[in-house]
Amino acid sequence: MNQWYRPQVGTPIAELDTPCLILDMDALDHNMGIMADFYEGKSSKLRGHGKNHKSPALAHRQIRRGGTVGGVCAAKVSEAEVMVQSGIPNVLVTSEIVAPLKINRLCSLAQQAQILVACEDSNNAERLSQSAIAQGVNLGVVIEQETGLVRCGVQSIDQGVALAKTIHSLPGLTFRGVMSHQMMAEPSSNREDRVTEGRRIIQDVIDLKDAITAAGIPVEIVSTGETWSYDVAGEIPGVTEIQGGTYLLMETSYDYMSEFQFAGKVLTTIISVPRPGVAVGDAGLKAVGAMKGMPAVDGQPGVVAESMDANHVVFRLDDGVRLNLGDQVTLIPGQQDAMVSRWDRFVGLRDGKVEAVWDIEARGCHN
Amino acid sequence: MERPVFQPVGTPVEELDTPALVVDLEVMSQNIETLHSYFRQAEAKIRPHVSCHQCPNIARLQMAAGGTAGGIAVTTVGEAEVFSNAGFDDILVANEVVTPPKIRRLCALARLNRITVAVDNPQNVAVLSKIAGDAQVTLNVLVDIDAGFGCCGVAPTGDARELARAVHSSPGLDFQGLMSYEGPLLYQNRSELEDETRRRLQLVLDTRQLIEAEGIAVSTVSVGSTSNYDIAGQMSGITEIQAGSYPLMDHNYCRYKTEFTPAAKILASVVSHSVEARAVVDSGHKTTGPDLGVPFLEGVAGATATRFSAEHGILELEPEAFTRLKSNEKVWLVPFDLALCVNQYDYIRAVRRGKLEGFWPVAARGRWD
Repeated sequence: MNQWYRPQVGTPIAELDTPCLILDMDALDHNMGIMADFYEGKSSKLRGHGKNHKSPALAHRQIRRGGTVGGVCAAKVSEAEVMVQSGIPNVLVTSEIVAPLKINRLCSLAQQAQILVACEDSNNAERLSQSAIAQGVNLGVVIEQETGLVRCGVQSIDQGVALAKTIHSLPGLTFRGVMSHQMMAEPSSNREDRVTEGRRIIQDVIDLKDAITAAGIPVEIVSTGETWSYDVAGEIPGVTEIQGGTYLLMETSYDYMSEFQFAGKVLTTIISVPRPGVAVGDAGLKAVGAMKGMPAVDGQPGVVAESMDANHVVFRLDDGVRLNLGDQVTLIPGQQDAMVSRWDRFVGLRDGKVEAVWDIEARGCHN
Repeated sequence: MERPVFQPVGTPVEELDTPALVVDLEVMSQNIETLHSYFRQAEAKIRPHVSCHQCPNIARLQMAAGGTAGGIAVTTVGEAEVFSNAGFDDILVANEVVTPPKIRRLCALARLNRITVAVDNPQNVAVLSKIAGDAQVTLNVLVDIDAGFGCCGVAPTGDARELARAVHSSPGLDFQGLMSYEGPLLYQNRSELEDETRRRLQLVLDTRQLIEAEGIAVSTVSVGSTSNYDIAGQMSGITEIQAGSYPLMDHNYCRYKTEFTPAAKILASVVSHSVEARAVVDSGHKTTGPDLGVPFLEGVAGATATRFSAEHGILELEPEAFTRLKSNEKVWLVPFDLALCVNQYDYIRAVRRGKLEGFWPVAARGRWD
């Protein structure tokens, strides 16, 4: 683990060593505030996704700020372990957990916190049940429904109802509800488009909930939605929680969600000005990633990130724009969760100075 | 930090918890032998570039294989610190280091080790000289030449000569010679690769001549990569090759360099198979580093890795593979780009003949500083 760099609180931004993963604390608090205000007084609540920030410090701040179910999502068992160890009382593991080793770890966690896990398959449900009995715990289970991602989840209402019956009948398990996850086919800043698309996709999981209820099995949880549909899913009757994650730090591919501000960025230093119109920064693919293209440059008109190699970013400069050795440039990533997962800590900045340094304790929690 | 279950030595590889970055030690040793045997005979020597794997244990095996220039190359001061701590005492930071705090760290390392750094700017030379002088150490310096990659580096010939003069006359700095990363030259056709390598490196050699004509000795010319090591290594005047991908390789490089075999792969498990024609594995962006290309699914007839999201990989299946990939079945993914894959892990699962031999720390992971 990278134990090297942990700047003093109060350090001005110009003195930060780079590359550095920085958090704009004002933007972070603004984004948390939007969610807290929106879900205030609503029957649906936010369940922030821990896979986006992997940081217990952020998870606790998010929960304290309000509007949440009081727990988080995790994509991996080891990620859930970090959250539970930090005192988060309620974690939904949004991936199917099939390996016996991991099911054991999951059941062990259920001794310490309320654990929910996604399921799509009756054989898997039986293994979860066996392990839960053996370890003397009860696992909450939600059925994942596939609603357009073409990935995991049950494929039909009938499949979902049959699986709900199986889970409901298995000792050691409590059937808690249903979940789904979806992307917008064509991202749009037009709220009407988001409402239409969001309602259409989320109706599938509401239909599944209704069918399971009609079969006589109570459905407590309908967990769906994400950053782009937080305000759509949150107003659909029957939806109990929204799995938002990207909103917290944001990324350029979600810039159409303009009420949120970019909070997670990478500070880089110019280390080479080899030719007129070109400057090279010290952060590249390893630190930033390029899964959704080149990062944007924050607040410096005429400076464009043109290409990256493992450790460098090459900036193209407009005529008349000049960067010197040692100058800092701030990058906004195209995809924040795949970027954060490379870093060991956040350096939180307010008014140009370090306010907090938070470990990304679940970084690398792949298992 | 990665939180693997540290399964016991001797655990069969297919029982490892997934996703896991697994290195086959015998394949790696063969790759190392292939390249180092070349340099044991050649005039030029290999300086292993360890940023690709970030793992001191692997670097130690590279150094033990002979044919080396006596040291390693890294990209950042942070990596140099990690490898210094691991006992490596001749380290080339093949990159520009410009901020005073980082230069002071470099000088601190130079008290313990032979440290060499690249430069491409006269202002930077002045700052290096000042701080090295204050610290009373000597930094060895290579002038970095842009021979066509288009990232860092000064233009060949005239500009490079001026910079070499500046280094040569700066107290605290010892001008050693030139370096260049001429780019990842990937050609299927050997003669094209030879032509392009020679064309680019000739610019560096011409610069060498110009500098020597000034009466300034050039003892080091450090260039090349895994793609052209045996071409660059034959050019008179080139003293060392900075290759890094060859021990572990990746899917991209293996298409061009057939004398090497992929030694680093990701072991993943099927976690979903809800429709016949699709299986989902527990390894996505965060465990494969597919920024430059999608990993290659190995060894399952009729199955192809097509799509990756942050946490998942999607396999498209032909009928022959419909029933093959059951829940929790293990599959092997060959990363497209090695460095971006290793960058995601804190441990390499070192495996010999199908059994776990140890968890090797990727000690310099995340040391971009």
